[in-house]
Amino acid sequence: MRKPPGASDNLTAYTFLLPWLFGFFCLTLGPMLGSLYLSMTKFNLLSPPNWIGLSNYLAIFTEDSTFTRSLTVTFTYVFLSVPLRLIFALLVAIALNKGIRALGIYRTVYYLPSLLGGSVAIAIVWRQLFEGTGVVNQLLARIGIEGPSWISHPDYIVYTIVTLSVWQFGSAMVIFLAGLKQIPADLYEASEVDGAGKLRQFFRITLPLLSPVIFFNLIMSIINSFQAFTPAFMIGDGRGGPLDATMFYTLYLYLKGFSYFDMGYASALAWIMLLIIAIFTAIVFVTSKYWVFYGDGKEGR
Amino acid sequence: MKKSMLALTLTALMTVMAACSGTSGGPAAGGESTKSGSSNQGVTNTTQPAEGGEASGEQVELRVMWWGDQARADRTNEALKIFMEKNPDIKVIGEFAPSSGYFDKLNTQLASGTAPDVFFLGGNVVDYAKKGVLLDLSLYIDKELNLKDMDKAMIEYGTLDGKLQHISAGANARGILINTTMFEKAGIPVPQDGWTWDDYAAISKQISEKLGKGFYGTYNFTVDGFDIFLKQNSKQLYDMANNQLGFAEADIRPWFDYWQQTSEAGGVVTPELQVSNPPTDTGKSLLITGKVAMTLAASNQLTAMQGLTQDKLTLVQVPRGPKGTGVVFESSQGMSGYAKTEHPAEAARLMSFWINDPDAAKILGNDRGVPVTAANRTLLEGEANEVDSLIYDYTSRVSKQAETEPFAVSYNLPGFSEFSKLAETTVQEIGFGRKKVEQAVTDFYGGTVKIFDSNK
Repeated sequence: MRKPPGASDNLTAYTFLLPWLFGFFCLTLGPMLGSLYLSMTKFNLLSPPNWIGLSNYLAIFTEDSTFTRSLTVTFTYVFLSVPLRLIFALLVAIALNKGIRALGIYRTVYYLPSLLGGSVAIAIVWRQLFEGTGVVNQLLARIGIEGPSWISHPDYIVYTIVTLSVWQFGSAMVIFLAGLKQIPADLYEASEVDGAGKLRQFFRITLPLLSPVIFFNLIMSIINSFQAFTPAFMIGDGRGGPLDATMFYTLYLYLKGFSYFDMGYASALAWIMLLIIAIFTAIVFVTSKYWVFYGDGKEGR
Repeated sequence: MKKSMLALTLTALMTVMAACSGTSGGPAAGGESTKSGSSNQGVTNTTQPAEGGEASGEQVELRVMWWGDQARADRTNEALKIFMEKNPDIKVIGEFAPSSGYFDKLNTQLASGTAPDVFFLGGNVVDYAKKGVLLDLSLYIDKELNLKDMDKAMIEYGTLDGKLQHISAGANARGILINTTMFEKAGIPVPQDGWTWDDYAAISKQISEKLGKGFYGTYNFTVDGFDIFLKQNSKQLYDMANNQLGFAEADIRPWFDYWQQTSEAGGVVTPELQVSNPPTDTGKSLLITGKVAMTLAASNQLTAMQGLTQDKLTLVQVPRGPKGTGVVFESSQGMSGYAKTEHPAEAARLMSFWINDPDAAKILGNDRGVPVTAANRTLLEGEANEVDSLIYDYTSRVSKQAETEPFAVSYNLPGFSEFSKLAETTVQEIGFGRKKVEQAVTDFYGGTVKIFDSNK
């Protein structure tokens, strides 16, 4: 009376998977389908949703100028903050990889900002620093530059937020550091014998061997940056001001849903965001075969 | 192989992570998932009353929520404590949030069915009444809810769609708040009631010129004074009786032009400063620091503002338009019950206590505006300090004016928070030179119509 071995194996596997499956279906897939449905309704949070088909999507793409502006702001933020943060993280990681003493302490100190960076408190500190009469402008005044009001002029505020994001380079740095430690030292020795300079070593050895790590960090940073909310909410006026210069996509979505009672519209915005992130991730994946090297000799272009 | 596994894992990871954000707008609709979330949020802000008295089985629990700073919270909690002493069968739990996040929090709670039994609303009461989430208090009048002494105009204001849905907790009248010390420094006489908008622009310019760089005549209150301007020109923001907009594009153009010209002349604060030190943020207001001489403010704000500065402040009536000042006594904020509350009668008792009880009035003072019952007004006037007397003097001037030039009580537009954001953006577009006034006003009116249609 033995069951075929395959079936009982499956049962065991599914039993162990059960908690995850439960979480996935109830906490992820369920709400996702719910929001897909809501995105095709007019729903003001308080009365039952009304089915309106694709009208929300149509309105977003044809007549919503705030949508286009929020996309512009978000793209500006992503395209500035992601490369800057990664470059900065890589440079610091290389500096820390020189075998200095008390590495653990430095690593921790530099890692701290990325734990704190998303928090409301740090956003408020940033606000204080970059105020018209804040520390940054006082320092600039010392060297004779009259700084603009970083947080109240629509042309500058997004850069203030970008600096906050760059400051959170810690988690990318820790990953880079681990990647750097994996690179065999004999490669450097060999190239040195052959007469390669530091710069050449960096571009010919370090970068290619680090590319899988860069790839990973790039994807995580892109996804994170598209979803930035707290800094825009706290450093701006919480309503996307001044002049929609802090109207990040997520903030717009939040305002639509929770302040303007238009949850259907907000759900539609959320789905568009999902698509945008998916497209960007896909692009990175597709191009990855041209620049990511796994060093196992099976690149297989 | 290894690579494709990685790719697969990462894709899965990406989907899950993006999904987290994708649904963040949605789950409130699902109900279940947010229910626990928002009630937790409520508890974090809860100020437990000092009362140790364990529920005697019969005790009813009532949740009340308001917005404001710590000073207001202290006063409110003290008043609630007196209410509990006088009504031992009711236990009140107070919650409060700063004004910036208050309505988002309330909306979430309403959506998930966990809203407090009684909550404060401002000019946006129309929005909530339209959505049918407010308790009809009509049934409790003359029983739990004593309105005999309450101003008729305020009762009328709280009656929406023929049902009493809102009890004003304080009244005020808007006026021009003036830093008289700055006028002294500039050697310009303090303006008097009865002035006109041309006077206002000229005086603003004079102040800026006499005091020099970094000093300004006035804040830009295009948005806050919008409805006043309309009323002065026999229009209104919202024609509630016919459920339509009370103005056309041509009606508002002169108002935006006026501010643009006054700004160009140099009398108005720069847009940057208006953003970094908004007039509504009492702590940062440039009126307090003696950089801006005039702004539009509600009369009850004088108390808070005067408390923060040595400069002497005063209130003068709003400059006159063709039909007069357009200012009347209006409700600054008030209480509404939650339509789904389990204790409507107790909620009504609390509101009745709030407006009628002399002990409560003494504690609450003019923080939310002048009391709405004649008895409590007399009571407070009796022990008024210098600043209070200024307010009473001002409000009585407004009342007298209103007798000869009556204006109907007006309501905010449905979709008010989206509308006010749009108006603010429009002013900034003009201020930062992104759009010409004409274009900005056209876009603004188009946007207003859209918001109105979506919320009416």
